[in-house]
Amino acid sequence: MAKKNLHKDVVIIGAGMAGLTAALYCGRMNLDTLVLESGLIGGQIANAVSIENYPGFVSVSGSDLISTLQKQAENFGAVVDEFDVIEKVTLTSTPKIVETEEHIYECDVVIIASGMNRRKLPLPEEKKFAGRGVHYCELCDGHMYKDKIIAVMGGGNAAVDAANFLTKYTNKLYLIHRSEFRADEFSQKRIKENSKVEIMLQTEIKKLHGDKRLENIDILDKKTGEMKNIAVDGIFVNIGVEPNTKLFKGQVNMSESGRIIAGEDCKTNIDGVFAAGDVREKVIRQLTTAAADGTTAALLAEKYLAKLKA
Amino acid sequence: MVKIYGFESCGWCAKCKAYLQSKGVEYEFHDIELNPEDAEACEKLTGDTAVPVITADDKNYVLGFDKAKIDELLGL
Repeated sequence: MAKKNLHKDVVIIGAGMAGLTAALYCGRMNLDTLVLESGLIGGQIANAVSIENYPGFVSVSGSDLISTLQKQAENFGAVVDEFDVIEKVTLTSTPKIVETEEHIYECDVVIIASGMNRRKLPLPEEKKFAGRGVHYCELCDGHMYKDKIIAVMGGGNAAVDAANFLTKYTNKLYLIHRSEFRADEFSQKRIKENSKVEIMLQTEIKKLHGDKRLENIDILDKKTGEMKNIAVDGIFVNIGVEPNTKLFKGQVNMSESGRIIAGEDCKTNIDGVFAAGDVREKVIRQLTTAAADGTTAALLAEKYLAKLKA
Repeated sequence: MVKIYGFESCGWCAKCKAYLQSKGVEYEFHDIELNPEDAEACEKLTGDTAVPVITADDKNYVLGFDKAKIDELLGL
């Protein structure tokens, strides 16, 4: 089937907090705006059970927060497409081209808000046990481990919050992290007070064992050098994220970590191309700063478009 | 009738439902958290209770949201 050619003022790549905030602002400025998302709308917070650090909410689930934001953006005319997957992006041409499975979008502005993907468990057995004992989504897969033994790998806020959440299913959970906690004091206090959790810091998972499913794991206590084998039915991996920037390699300037280099104005090295949210190289990556980036990128995109059309 | 095994708060299950709706495919949603018999049927089909699972004949299925595989399974 031939692809359909369409023109858009703005194409936003990614429908997380930054992308949808940009869509809300672009929509309000009456720009013809399309948001493309191949994963879950909401990105990293789509499956967050409870967000407690977003201003104005005591506690809100990621899905509630993001579906409200999506509605806000759509109310102002932005279109969100979560099924038409991007195949190729040409940012240096005029107009810029975003080619999907079904369309060729010509556009004047591209806002890259493609966010981050969870890092995979760096062990050769990962593939064998993915979905059969190795998991990346507590909310989606936690129910499989009712009354079973769970391990959570990681020491940041996401890992600690995942561990706390998973104790609703299990009475025995190991929180395993190769160094010291990176989670904030509040989350640390909460996990330390959870009697179902055994915290294993300075500990590395070295090998996974099992026939058809994960059954047990080898762990190394880095302080003593002792190797142990413990029975575990499921591991939830929370060892950080990596930028989702493969599509843009060789076009926009990127840092060593693969994030896009853009200043506080979200402008990249290419006119009319902005980077917003966690995908932008910056010091602080929070939901609030993602929303701020989305706002900045949209407002400066409008100025860029006005100049272009003058 | 096409069946989706999943549960309400599962984001990928919601995406499967939205995709079938966008294609005009009618489906039954079987909630494995609410109904133990659905969890059992899902496990019998795939050997596990990982979701979402889409099937049209209770034999062949797609686990997870994989658009190409869903299209192939359902002839979309």
